[in-house]
Amino acid sequence: MSKAATRVGATPTKRLAEDGGASRLSSSLHSLSLRSPSKSTSTPAFADSSSDICPVCKSSRYLNPNMKFLVNPECYHKMCESCVDRIFSHGPAPCPIAGCKRTLRKAKFRNQTFEDLRVEREVDIRRRVAKILNKTEEDFDTLLNYNNYLETVETTTFNLIYKIDVEATERRLQAFAEVQRAEALSTLPASQASKIRSVSSTQQITDSKQESSTDRVVLKKSAGQRKVPSSSMSTPDPFSGAENGDVDSGFNFHGLKKRVAPEPEKPYDPYGGWSVEPQYFILQDDYDVEWLKHTKDEVKNAAGGYDMKDFYTRALCDAFSGFGVFIDEEMTARDNQASGDAVIGTQTAAAVAAGGRDVHMDDLF
Amino acid sequence: MAYSPVLSPKPNPPATKPLPANPKTKALAILNASNSPATTAASTPGDGGLDLAEQMNDEVRRQFITGNRLGEGTYAIVYSGHYLSDPKSLVAIKKIKVNADYKDGIAMDAIREIKYLSELSHPNIIRLHAVFSTKDQNISLVLEHLPLGDLEQLWKTHTVSYGIADIKAWASMLAQAVWFCHENFILHRDIKGNNLLIAADGTVKLADFGLARSFADPGRPMTYNVITRFYRPPELLYGARYYGGGVDVWSMGVVIAELAIREFFLPSETDVGQLSAIYEVFGHPTEESWPGISKLEFYIPPDASSTATTNGVKVGKKGQPLGYWKARFPLLGEDGIDLVRGMLTLDPRKRLSARQVLEHRYWTNAPRPTKKEDLPKQGGGEKKMGEDLKRRGGEVDSGRADKVARKLDFSALKK
Repeated sequence: MSKAATRVGATPTKRLAEDGGASRLSSSLHSLSLRSPSKSTSTPAFADSSSDICPVCKSSRYLNPNMKFLVNPECYHKMCESCVDRIFSHGPAPCPIAGCKRTLRKAKFRNQTFEDLRVEREVDIRRRVAKILNKTEEDFDTLLNYNNYLETVETTTFNLIYKIDVEATERRLQAFAEVQRAEALSTLPASQASKIRSVSSTQQITDSKQESSTDRVVLKKSAGQRKVPSSSMSTPDPFSGAENGDVDSGFNFHGLKKRVAPEPEKPYDPYGGWSVEPQYFILQDDYDVEWLKHTKDEVKNAAGGYDMKDFYTRALCDAFSGFGVFIDEEMTARDNQASGDAVIGTQTAAAVAAGGRDVHMDDLF
Repeated sequence: MAYSPVLSPKPNPPATKPLPANPKTKALAILNASNSPATTAASTPGDGGLDLAEQMNDEVRRQFITGNRLGEGTYAIVYSGHYLSDPKSLVAIKKIKVNADYKDGIAMDAIREIKYLSELSHPNIIRLHAVFSTKDQNISLVLEHLPLGDLEQLWKTHTVSYGIADIKAWASMLAQAVWFCHENFILHRDIKGNNLLIAADGTVKLADFGLARSFADPGRPMTYNVITRFYRPPELLYGARYYGGGVDVWSMGVVIAELAIREFFLPSETDVGQLSAIYEVFGHPTEESWPGISKLEFYIPPDASSTATTNGVKVGKKGQPLGYWKARFPLLGEDGIDLVRGMLTLDPRKRLSARQVLEHRYWTNAPRPTKKEDLPKQGGGEKKMGEDLKRRGGEVDSGRADKVARKLDFSALKK
C-alpha cells in the first residue's frame, strides 16, 4: 500500500524533470496571464506543474528545491525569489513578463495566499475597499439605509474586480477616505490629531514622489495615502457629481449618523469620586476642655501617634451627624423656610466653639 | 447533609424545629433588618412558633444557597455560594466555627468583622451582604465573591508581570480603602497583601476586619499586639497603647513597597528581629528624631544595642540614603519613593495621614494609574479566596504553625 503511494507520488516529478520546463514556457505564461483564466482553472494539474518553474529564469524546483515564488499585487505575475532579488534590487523596474510593462518594486512582492491568482487579487481588492468603506450597522439610523450602503460597497468592489469604470471608482474611494480621515482628526483630542496629521502629511509627500516616478498605477495599496489634488476637491467630480452636494466626499450615504467625539479623559481622582467632608460642624485646631487636658499633655500618648484631632472630629461627627436624622432640617423643610442646613450647622459649630462646655459628649450614649 | 454539598448544592434548609430563643439571633435579626424585605410580613404572630428574630434570620438564610467548600481554618470555614434568586450573583459564605474561648457568645473577630463591615460601604472594601445563624448556632457571614487571588500572591507569581502604572492603580485602591476606614473612624489593624483580595473585575478590596476597632477615646489603652509582624509599625513594636491611624498607613507603605520589589520588604523571625529589620532601612530612632519615644514601654535606646561608635560615643544605625531607595524601588519612581518614605516615617506624628497620602502628587503625576480592566490578572481562583477568608486576623501563612490558633492579648482592654 505504502509502496504504491510512493510510486504514484514519484511519477509527476519524473515527468517534470524530463520536460525540463522549457517546452511548457508558453503555456505557463498563458496560464499566469489574467486575461485567459479559463485554461488554468480547467486544467489544475497543468497549472500545478508549471508553477514549479520560474517563468523568468526557467529554473525549476527540481534543480532548486528551496525555490520560492512571489507575486506583486501590481500585476500578479509570479516569479521566483532570486529573480526578484536580481531584477528589483536596484530600485523599481518593469515587470519582466512579456507583454506586461507595469513598474514593480521589490518591497511589494509577497507570498501568494491563494492558489488562484484571481482570488488573490479579489481578496486584496475587497480588503482595501472594506478598509475605506468601514461603516457598521450602528452607524446608520435605519436598516434600509444600511442595506443601501452595503449595496454601494458591493457595487464598488465589483467594479474594481471586473475593471468597470476603474478610474472613477478609484477617485470616489479616495475622496471618501480623505473625508473620513478629516472627520476623524476633527474629533480627536488636539495633541493626538496633530501627531497623526504630521505623520500622514509626510506619508503623502513620499507617496506623491513615488507616484511621479511610476508611469501608470492602477491598483494602489492604500488609496487613503494618495494625495488628492486640491483642484479635484473644490471642483465637482463629473462621475459622482449627481449624488454630491458642495463638498466631494466620493460617496454620499443616506442616514449616516454624525460621529460623536469621545469625552476627553478626566484627570485622575485619587479619592475615586468620594468625598468625606464635615457638613454639620467646623473643626477647630484645639478644644480647651478640662477633662481632656490630662490625656493631651501625656507624652506617652503623643509618642504612640494618638491624635487628639481624630477624637475631636469623631466626637463632633457623632454629635452632629448622628444617625443622619436632622429634626431641625425636617422642620425647616416642612415650614418651607429656605434657610440652608449649612447655616444651622455653622451656627451650632460656632456655639460649640464659643462655649466648649455646651457639648456634653459623655451624655450622648 | 447525607450527601456532599459539592455534588448538589442545595438551599439551606428552613428550620424544621423552633430554634432556641437566643439573644444572638435577635441581635442578628436587628442587623439584617435592612436586608430582609419581608420584615413586616414576618411580624404576623402565630407563625410556626418562631419568634420574630428567628423568622427574620430564616428569611435571610433562605436567600442564599451554599455550594462548594473552599477552605477551612481554625477560625472559619469558607463556602462558595449564590443568591437563591439569581445564581449568577456569587457570594462567599464564611461560617465562623464555635470557639472554645467564647463559649457564651460570638467570637471577638466575628463581632468586629460584622460590626465594621456593615458600617462600611466602599468599592475598595469587601462587602458584607448579610449575616445569619444556622441551627447549630454558628454564625455565617455572606461576603463578596472575590475570585482573583490577593496582592501578595500577585507579586509572588512570577508569570505575572506588571509595571509602574499597575502598581499605582493597586496602591491607589488600597489607599482609598484605608482612607475611607479612617474617615469613618475605623482602624483596620491588619493590612497586608494577603488581606487585599482582587475582584473579578480587577478591583482590589480590603478584607478581614477581624482585628479592626474604632478609634479609641482619649486615655483608653489599646492592645499593641496587632498587625501581622512584617507590617507592624515601630510604635506597636515599642508597645505603644495609644495610637492612631498611623499604624495602618505604615502597613500600607510596606504593602506598596513589597509590590514594587516583589519580595517581602521587612521580613523577620521575631518581634525584636522586626525592629532590627526596620533599623536597617530607617535607622535607629532617638529622642531627637522621635520626641517622647523613651516613654514607650519597650524602647531600647541605640547606645544599649548598637555596636557602631562615633568619637567614642555609641550611636544607632543611620537610615538608608535616598540613593538606596532609588536603586531598590525603580518601579515607584521619584514621586512614589517620596510617598512611601512619607508613609514609612518612624515617628507616627510625622507620618502621612491617610488623607495626606491621597493628596500626594504621586497619584496625579504621570503615568496615570492603569484602568482596572487593563490590570494584569492571574487566576488565584476561589481556592485562594477561601484560604484568605478563613484566616484569623494577625495569622501568617507560615505553613508549619498554620493550624495553631494564635492567642491575642486582650488583657489591655480589661484593665
